[in-house]
Amino acid sequence: MADKRDEQGADPGLSRRQFLRGVGVVGAGAGLADELLGGEKAEAAPLSQAPAGAILKPGMQKVTLNVNGADTTMEVEPRTTLLNALRNHADPPITGPKLICDQGACGGCTVLLDGKTMYGCMLLAVDAVGRKVTTVEGLARDGKMSPVQEAFVEKDAMMCGFCTPGFIMSVESLLQTNKNPSLEQIKAACSGNVCRCGTYPHIFEAAMAAAAKMRGGA
Amino acid sequence: MAQQQKPKMKKIKTVKDVNGVPTEVEIEVPDTGGPTWGPRGSHTLLNHDIERVDGPAKATGAAKYTYDVRVPGMLYGRVLMSPHACADITSVDTSAAEAMPGVKAVVTLNDKQVKYEGDPVAAVAAITPEIAEDAVRTIKVAYKKRPHAVTYQQATKAGAPAVYQNAPDNVRKQGGSGDRAKAEAALMTADATVEREFVIGMQHHACLETHGVMVDYTGGDTATVYASTQGTFTIPNDAAGALGMKVEKITAIVEYMGGGFGSKFGIDLPGQIACRLSKKANAPVRLMLSRPQEFLAAGNRNGALQRVKAGASKDGKLVAMVAEQYDLGGLGEGGLAGLPYIYHVPTVYQESNSLHTNQDSSRAMRGPGHPQTSFAMESIMDDLAAKIGMDPIEFRKANTGDAFYHRQLDTAAKEIGWERRPKTPGGGTVYGPYKSLKRGMGCGAATWGGGGRPECQVDVFVKQDGSIAVQVGTQDLGTGSRTYTAAIVAEEMGLPVKAVETRIGNSKYGQANASGGSTTTASLAPAVKVAAVNAKGLLFAAAAPMLGVKPEELSAANGKLFVTADPNKSMTWKQACATLGAAGISARGEWSSELAGNGVHGVQMAEVEVDTETGHVRVLKMVGVQDCGLALNRRAVQSQLNGGMIQGLGYALLEEHWVDEATGCMLNPSLEEYKLPGAMDMPEMVSLIDDGDTREVVIGMAEPAAIPGASAIANAVFNACGARITSLPITPDKVLTALNAKA
Repeated sequence: MADKRDEQGADPGLSRRQFLRGVGVVGAGAGLADELLGGEKAEAAPLSQAPAGAILKPGMQKVTLNVNGADTTMEVEPRTTLLNALRNHADPPITGPKLICDQGACGGCTVLLDGKTMYGCMLLAVDAVGRKVTTVEGLARDGKMSPVQEAFVEKDAMMCGFCTPGFIMSVESLLQTNKNPSLEQIKAACSGNVCRCGTYPHIFEAAMAAAAKMRGGA
Repeated sequence: MAQQQKPKMKKIKTVKDVNGVPTEVEIEVPDTGGPTWGPRGSHTLLNHDIERVDGPAKATGAAKYTYDVRVPGMLYGRVLMSPHACADITSVDTSAAEAMPGVKAVVTLNDKQVKYEGDPVAAVAAITPEIAEDAVRTIKVAYKKRPHAVTYQQATKAGAPAVYQNAPDNVRKQGGSGDRAKAEAALMTADATVEREFVIGMQHHACLETHGVMVDYTGGDTATVYASTQGTFTIPNDAAGALGMKVEKITAIVEYMGGGFGSKFGIDLPGQIACRLSKKANAPVRLMLSRPQEFLAAGNRNGALQRVKAGASKDGKLVAMVAEQYDLGGLGEGGLAGLPYIYHVPTVYQESNSLHTNQDSSRAMRGPGHPQTSFAMESIMDDLAAKIGMDPIEFRKANTGDAFYHRQLDTAAKEIGWERRPKTPGGGTVYGPYKSLKRGMGCGAATWGGGGRPECQVDVFVKQDGSIAVQVGTQDLGTGSRTYTAAIVAEEMGLPVKAVETRIGNSKYGQANASGGSTTTASLAPAVKVAAVNAKGLLFAAAAPMLGVKPEELSAANGKLFVTADPNKSMTWKQACATLGAAGISARGEWSSELAGNGVHGVQMAEVEVDTETGHVRVLKMVGVQDCGLALNRRAVQSQLNGGMIQGLGYALLEEHWVDEATGCMLNPSLEEYKLPGAMDMPEMVSLIDDGDTREVVIGMAEPAAIPGASAIANAVFNACGARITSLPITPDKVLTALNAKA
C-alpha cells in the first residue's frame, strides 16, 4: 500500500520520515506512534491559513471548518472525509450526518455545503475549508426546529431515524429553491437518499406540509 | 402470618420460536384479573395518531445511536474477513499491524478454516478509523483454498463438496407431513392442476446502522456496552463472557438503533470482537461493520427452492398439493412456513429441508420464512384461478373460512378498484407511446402469530412536583415502542403524552424481552398498562381524602383528578401529586394476558404497469389492510404497514444477492449494487387499519406487513401480461424470457 502511494507521486520534497508518519506505514516502528500522538502535533500546518494551491502532505493536518456557523478546528489526515472529520475528529462530535454506505449511494451523510446538498462521505475535509457546512444540527433557530424538521415529526416521516437527517437536508435544499414542489419534484429531490424502514410516503407528506408551512410564512 | 396462597393460574397462548418459525404454544401464568383496554371509541390518545415522542431528537440529530457514541480515548475497531468461501488458513501474520503507529490492539480470531466469504479472521483497534483500516490491510493471511458450493445448483451437483460433514449431500431433512402417494392420487382427481418450481435468492436486512457496539471499558471491573441491537437484555450476558466480567457489572445501552429487521440479537460478531480488543487495549472500542461486511456477515433472509404441484376443482376448491420446500440459508438452517400456507387444502404432502451452501448463515428477517412461502402459494392460487376461470379474490374466499381475510380482501379490492383489472391474465388494453404497456392487479395475504411474553417489568414513578416517568429496559427499533409506552401512561393518568418522560433502552431498568416475532407490543404494552393502573391507584389513595371520597370514586382526565359522580369536585394533577410523600410513588407492572392477543392476518394488493418491450415493471399503487387488535398509535401502525409493503416491493422487483460460483464471492455487497427501494420507486400507497377487528387486546403487526407484498406484485405482473415469473426479484430479463416463452 505504502509503496504504491510512493510511486504515485508523494511530494518529492517530503522526507521519508514524514511520509511514514503520515500513512502509518508497515514496520515504521512503535516509536512513531508517540510522534503521531504527541510531540510533533504542533507541526501540523493550519490548513485554513495555507496558501491557495498548497500541496498537502500526509499526516495529521490542522483544519478549521465552519460548521453550523461556528469555526471548529480539528486534526485530520488529507484523506479524511468531511463526514469522518465531523463524526470522529470534531470535538464535540457532530453526528447528525450518518455513515451508512461510505460511497455516495445512500445520502445518509447529506450536508449543505455553501447552501447546496453534498454527501459528506464524498468530500475530503480539507476541501471543505473556507466553505460553510450546515448539518441537521444547524437547522434549528433559537431552539425551534425548522419547518421541515417540524413537518417530519408531525407526519411521522421517520421510523428508526437513521436516514432522517439526510432526508431532512435534501428536503431543506429543495424548499430553498422551490417553494411549491410537486410530488414528482419531491421524489427527485429525495432520490439520492435511501430509507430501509420504508418511510417514503410520510417523507413526501412532510415535504408537502413543510412547503405549505413555509409559503404561509410560518 | 399472611396465608401463602398459591396464585390462581390460567393457561394462555403465546408464541415461541420453533426452528426459526414462530409457533403458538400454551403456557401457564398467574391469573391476575386486572385492567382492560376498554372498547373502541373509549380512548383519548390510544387508537389515535400520536406524534412520535423521540421525533424531535431524530429530526435534529440529537438522537445518539451506537455509531454516534464517542468517548475520550476511544479506539476504532476493524475486522479482517475471509475473501474465500472455503479455505484452510495456513498462517496469520499480524506483526506489521502490531508495529503500526496508532494501533493499540490486534487479535487473531481464526487460524484454522474459513467457511464463507466474510468469516472473521483478525481484528485491530487503532486511534483513528483510517489507521485501523490501514492496519487490517497489512495482516497477511495465507489460505489454502478448498472447493466451495455457494449456490444451490453447485451444492446439489454430483460430487459437490460437503458444506457440513454430517450432511454429505448438503441437504438436511427438517420435517414434513402427509402421504405423498395419497396426495399424488388426489391430484389426479382435480379439474385443473399446476406444477411450478419457485426460486428465491437471499434478501438482506440492510440495516442502515450496521451491526456494531461501543464497549466503554477502561480496565476496571465494570463496563458499559452501547449496542445496535433488538435485545437490550441479550447484551450483558454475552459481554460478560467476552470481557470476563460479572453480568451485573455490565450495563447495556440501546437508546436509539438504526434498524434490525430480525438480524440484531445478542452481542454478535462485532460485539465479541470489540470486547476482546477493548480488553486487550484497556480502552473503549467502537466497532461497526463496514457496509460490505454488513452484507457478508450480518445475515440474510434465507432463499428458497420450492417445487409445488397443486390442483383445484371446477367449482373453485383446492383439492390437493405436493410440496417440496428447501430453505437456502447458507451455513444456517433457515426456515420456511409450510405450504399450503393460509389456505385449506384437503390432501397435502409437504416436506421441509435445509440446503446448505458456503454462505453466511441466514437470520430471522421480518416475517421469517413467510414471504417465500406466500410467494409460492399465492402464485399457485392465481394460476389455478386463471385455469378454472375464477376471480382470484373469490377463489381465495372459497378456500379460507376466516372472516378476517374475507373482510380484508373486500376492503382492499374496493380501495384499489379491483373491478378495473383485466379479467384474464394479459387480457387488458395495451397503451403507451410504443403500445407496449399493460396494467394488472394482484393480491396476497399473510398470517402471523405475534402474541406476548410474560417478561416485562415496567416502573412508573410519580413525584411530588407532578413529574411522571415510565421506565423499562426495552428498545425502540423505530416501531414506536417509546411512544406508546408514554401514551399508555398518559392516557391512564389523563395527561398529555408530553407530560410523561420515557426511559428505555438500558439493562439497569426493568426487564424486557427482545424484539422478535412481533412480540414487543403484546409483551410490553400490557405491563405498561398495569404499571400505570397501579401508580394511579396509589395516587388516588393519597389524593382521595383531600376530596373527601374513597379512591375508587375518583377518575383522571384532562390533567385533573375528579370525583366520577361529581366532576366539579376536582383537583389538578399537580395538586394531587402534592399530596404524595417526599418519595413520591413507584409502581411496578407486569404482563397481563388479558391485555395481549395473538394471531393477525393482512391483505395487500398491487397495481403494476409492465412494459412488454423492456420487461420493466413499475408498481403504480399498493394497498395494505392490516389487523392488530387495538392499534395503540394509528400513525405508527400505518408507518409500519407502509414500511412492510415497501420492503415487499424491494423483494419483488429489486433486491438480489448475487454470488459468483467461480470465486464464491458476493458480487454486490454495496448499496450501489444491492438495490433498495428508493423515492423514485414509490407507488401511491394506502395503508388501512382493519377496524373490523374489535378485539380488546394489543397484537404486534410489523411482520405480517412485510409478507404478502411481493406475492401481490408477482400476481399483478401475471394479471398484466400473462407471464408467470417464478423467481424473485422480477427483473426485466425474467419478464422478457417469460413473455417470449409464452409467445
